[in-house]
Amino acid sequence: MATTTARPAPLDPHQHPAHEARLTVDDRRELMRYMLLMRATEERALTLYRQGKVPGSHYDGRGQEAVSVGSAFALSPRDRACILHRDLGAHLLRGVRPGRVLAQMMGRAGGLTGGRDGNMHFGDKDLGCVGMVSMLPDMAPVACGLALAFQMRSEPRVAMTWFGDGSTANGQWHEAMNVAGVRKLPVVFVLENNQFAYSTPNSLEFVVDPIERAASYGFPGVKVDGNDVEAVFQASAEACERARQGGGPTLIEAETMRMHGHGAHDDMSYVPPEMLEEWSRRDPIESYEARLHEAGDVDLDSLREEVKAELDSETDWALAQEMPDPSTATGGVFATEDPVMGDGKAPWSRWAKEASHA
Amino acid sequence: MPEITYLEAISDGLREEMRHDSSVFCMGQDIGEYGGAFKVTDGFFEEFGADRVWDTPLAENAMVGAAVGAAVEGLRPVCEMQFADFIACGFDQLVNVAGKMYYRQGLAVPMVVRLPSGGGFSGGPFHSQNPEAWFLQSPGLKVVAPSTAEDAKGLLASAIRDPNPVLYLEHKNLYRRIKGDVAEGRYETPMGELGVAREGTDLTVVSYGAMVHTALEATEDIDGASIEVLDLRTLCPLDRDGILESVRKTSKVVVLHEATRSCGVGAEVCSLIAEEAFEDLDGPVVRVTAPDVPIPFSPPLERAVLPQVDDVKEACRELLAY
Amino acid sequence: MPQMGVSVAEGTITAWRKRPGDWVERDEVIVEISTDKVETEVPSPAAGRVAELLVEEGSTVDVGTLLAVIDTGARPGQAHADESTGNGNGKAPPVSPVVRRIADEHSVDLAAVSGTGRRGRVTKKDLLAFIEQGAGAPAKPAERPLHSESPYREEPAPAPAAGTAEGEQLSVLRRQIGEHMVHSLHTAAHCTTIVEADMTAIEAARGRLSYLPLVARATIAALREHPRLNATLEGDRLKVWDEVHLGIAVSLGEEGLIVPVVRNAHELSHEGLGARIKDLAARARSKQLSPDEVGGGTFTITNPGRYGALLATPIINQPQVAILDLEAVVKRPVVVSDGQGGDSIAIRPMTYFCMSWDHRALDGVGAAEFLGSVKRNVEGWSD
Repeated sequence: MATTTARPAPLDPHQHPAHEARLTVDDRRELMRYMLLMRATEERALTLYRQGKVPGSHYDGRGQEAVSVGSAFALSPRDRACILHRDLGAHLLRGVRPGRVLAQMMGRAGGLTGGRDGNMHFGDKDLGCVGMVSMLPDMAPVACGLALAFQMRSEPRVAMTWFGDGSTANGQWHEAMNVAGVRKLPVVFVLENNQFAYSTPNSLEFVVDPIERAASYGFPGVKVDGNDVEAVFQASAEACERARQGGGPTLIEAETMRMHGHGAHDDMSYVPPEMLEEWSRRDPIESYEARLHEAGDVDLDSLREEVKAELDSETDWALAQEMPDPSTATGGVFATEDPVMGDGKAPWSRWAKEASHA
Repeated sequence: MPEITYLEAISDGLREEMRHDSSVFCMGQDIGEYGGAFKVTDGFFEEFGADRVWDTPLAENAMVGAAVGAAVEGLRPVCEMQFADFIACGFDQLVNVAGKMYYRQGLAVPMVVRLPSGGGFSGGPFHSQNPEAWFLQSPGLKVVAPSTAEDAKGLLASAIRDPNPVLYLEHKNLYRRIKGDVAEGRYETPMGELGVAREGTDLTVVSYGAMVHTALEATEDIDGASIEVLDLRTLCPLDRDGILESVRKTSKVVVLHEATRSCGVGAEVCSLIAEEAFEDLDGPVVRVTAPDVPIPFSPPLERAVLPQVDDVKEACRELLAY
Repeated sequence: MPQMGVSVAEGTITAWRKRPGDWVERDEVIVEISTDKVETEVPSPAAGRVAELLVEEGSTVDVGTLLAVIDTGARPGQAHADESTGNGNGKAPPVSPVVRRIADEHSVDLAAVSGTGRRGRVTKKDLLAFIEQGAGAPAKPAERPLHSESPYREEPAPAPAAGTAEGEQLSVLRRQIGEHMVHSLHTAAHCTTIVEADMTAIEAARGRLSYLPLVARATIAALREHPRLNATLEGDRLKVWDEVHLGIAVSLGEEGLIVPVVRNAHELSHEGLGARIKDLAARARSKQLSPDEVGGGTFTITNPGRYGALLATPIINQPQVAILDLEAVVKRPVVVSDGQGGDSIAIRPMTYFCMSWDHRALDGVGAAEFLGSVKRNVEGWSD
C-alpha cells in the first residue's frame, strides 16, 4: 500500500512487525468518529455559510478526511502540529471542539481567535498547535523550528505539518525540506496531493512528483492512498517513530482529491466531471465504513447518531456566542508574557498509557 | 568599566545571554567556525557548540520560520542576517508568521533577528539598506537600533528577553568606529525609552543609529545654539512621550535618519509632533534623510545620498533662523 | 542707497516692500525711500530672493550704503507662493503655533514684539525675551490680598499744562519738508515782491485747460530776459544757469508737497509744458518719480491759487534764488486805458504774482523788472 521512493530504507510495517502501528477496535472507531465529525462539522459550516452567517470565504476539506485524521492520529500528546485548512479532522482529533470552529468561522468572540482571524486560520496553543497563515507552506519552516527545539533538548517529540501540492512549487518548501534534511530534524511533512492548487492542476505545478524529491533532501518519501485512513496512519506512525528515534524527517505524499471547490465560491468548472465521479467512488468515509462494516466491530449507526448529537449541541453553542467587542480590536499585538504551549489530545490507544502516566 | 567597540559590545551581550540562558541560541549564515561575516559570533562555536551556533543553509525564510517554531516551543533564537538587506528574503516569515502570531492565537514568539544595516562604506544597493520602516508597518514586530556600545549590549539583552519578535538593527558603520565604556555582566537597556545624547534648549535633533553621531558632530557648535540630540534607540514601540517632552522644550525639530525619506521613521515622528505638539512648534518640522533612491556604490554618489554632517548643519541653521 | 539726483547725499528708508525670504523680480519695487527732494519707490536691480535687509525702516543712511542683499542664485519656489499675496506689504508673517499660544497665555500683543525670524517673524525666542523684559503680563493666578494691602493708590501729581490729544508722528516726508523750509528761512534773505496782472489774454487762450502752462511759458520767457533769477546760490557761489529747469510744486495732500522738475523747460511750448507738468504731477502722486526728476531745478513755480488764496509769501526752494507764487484769478473792476488816453472801468480776470527772492543774490529792482516782464508776457499773450 505504501510505496517508497527514497533512501534510507523505509520501515515497512509489513516487513517490520515490531514497528507496526497497532490499531484496536476502539482506535478504528475513533478514526471513523473523527472523519465523521470533520465531515459533519464542515457540512454544518457550509450550511451556516449559505445562511449568511459566515463572513468572508469558506474553505473545507471534503474528501480529505482520511489524510488529516489518519496522520494526526499518530501524534503523541506532546507532539506539535501546524495544521492546514483542509485538515479540520486533525484539529478535532487534537481536542478542538466543533463549536469553537463554527464560532471561529462566524467571527464570534467564542471562536478560536476571538474573531481576529477567520475560517480555518487558527491553532489552539493549549492543544499544541501553531496556527497556519495564508502563505503556503509557511508552516513548513516553522515546523522545522519546533522540531529543532525538540532536537536541541533531546526530547522524543515530533512536529507534523501539512501542505498541498501547490506548496511544493514554493521556495519555502525547498528551504524547509533542505533544512530538515541538513539537521535531521524530527519533523513529518504531510503532502496532501488533492490534485489542484485552487484551479491549477499538478501538471502546471511541477514536472517531477514531489515525493521523488525527498531523496535529494536525504530523507524518505512515502506515497500513500490518501483516501485510506489506515494507510495514512501507518505511514505517519512510521514516520513519527523514525523521527522520535533520531532518524530525521519524512515526506508523506497522500494522494487524494479535493471534492469541493477551493472555497465555497468556486464552482470547480475546471475539474472534469468524470474525475470527480471516479474519486467519489473512493470516498474515504464510505470506504472505511464498508471496511468496518465487514469487520463488524464498530456500531456505525450509534456512532453516527453520537456525532450528529454532538454537532447539534455544538452548533447551538456556536450560534449563542456573541460577536467580539470592537474595542478589543487593537489590543494584544505584543506579548507581555511568554505562555507555554499545552499538549494535545492523542486518541490512539498507544498513548493512553503514556497519558495516564503524565 | 572596560572600553570596547560597538561590535564587541554586541558579541559581549550575546555571549552573556547565551551563558546565562541555555534556551538562547544563534542561527545564521557563516556564524559557526568562521565567526560570522562581521565576527559577532567569533569564538561562539568553540564555546557553545554547533547546536547553539547553527551555521544555517542559505535560506532566510527557513531560518526565520524555524526561529518562530523554536521560539513558540520555548527557545530564544537569535537569527543573524548576514546583511540587513537579506531580511527581504525572510520577510514573509517575519511579517506574516512571527508578527501576527500573538495577536491571532496568543502565542508569544520570543526571538531576535539581528540586522547589520546601513551604508557609508560603498556597500552598494544590496549591502547598505536601512530597512527599519518596512517593519514599522508590520504590527507585532519590535524594532531597536542602538547607537552606542553600551546600548548595543543592553538592548540586545532586552531584545532577547522580550517575549516578542524583535528586529535588532546594528549599524555596520559603527562596528569598530564607536567605542564606549560597557559594564561587564548582564544588564538591560529598556526598550521603548529614548536616550538624550546631548541636552539643549534651542532645537531638537531626533535621530537613531549611526546618525546620532552625525547629529552630535554637526551640532557641536552652530553659532552657539543649544541643540538637543535625541537617540530614539527603540523605533517600535516609539518613545512618544520622550520626543514630545523635548519638542515642548525646544519648539524646533530636525528629524534625521539614514533610511530613505518617504513613510520612514522621520515621517512617523513628524506626524506625532504635528498631532500632539502642534501648539508647541516654532517652526516647521524638518527631515534630513536619504532621498528615495537605492544606496549607490561609488563614494561620491553614496555621499550625495546619505545625510552628511553639513546637511544636518544647514538644516539646523535654517530652522534656527526661522 | 541710490543716488537720488545730483545733490542728494542721504536717504531714509520709509518702507520695505519685501522681506527676507521674499522673491523679488527685477525692477519690482523693493523699497520706498525718502530724501529731502523726493519720496520714491526703488526698483530691485536684480531678480532673486531677498537674503537680508541691512537698514531698518525709518533709518537715514548715506548714498551708497548697502541696503539689502538679494540672492540671485535662488529660484522662485512654490514654498513662497504666498509672497505675491502680500505678506511683504509691511505685514508681519504668520506666527507659529507655539508663539500664538504663549502670546495668548501672557496676553501679549504680538504687534509689539519685534521679530528676528524669517521675514521678520516673531520667534518663540523673541517672544520669551519680550515677556522676560516684563512687557507681557504673565497670566499668574490672582493672589489674595494681605492684611496690609488695599486697593488704594496714591493719585499722581497733576501734570503741568496737559496738552491736547497725543498727536501723531510726522511722516518722514513732512519732517523733511519742514527741515528744508526752516533751513531755507534761516539761510536766505527772503523778500517778497508782488505784481498784479490781467489774465484776459491767458483766459482767452487757455480754454478749459489750466493757465499754469501758459504762465509758466511766460515766466520762462521772462527768465531768459533776466537770467539772474534763473540761478542757484550755494554758500557764496552764485550759479546762473543757461537752461531753465523749472520746478512745479505738487501737493500730495496731507502727506506733503513735492517739486518735480521740468528739465530744459525753455525748449518747450506751453502745450509741451502742459503735458510734462501733467505727467510729473500724476507720477508724483503715485510715487513714481525718479530721483533725477525732483532735483536740479533752477526756478520754482508754486500754484495754490486755485484754492482761492489771494496773496502769499512763499519760501524759496534752496538753493534756487526765487520762487513764483500764482494766486487765484479773480474778476475785479479795473481801470483800463483805450490807448488814446481814454480810461474806463472794466471787469477783468485779475491775479497777483507773488515772488519771494533771495536778497543775497539780487535786489528789489531785479525782482521787479523780472515780474514786470512776466506781467507783460501774460497780458500780451498770443499763441
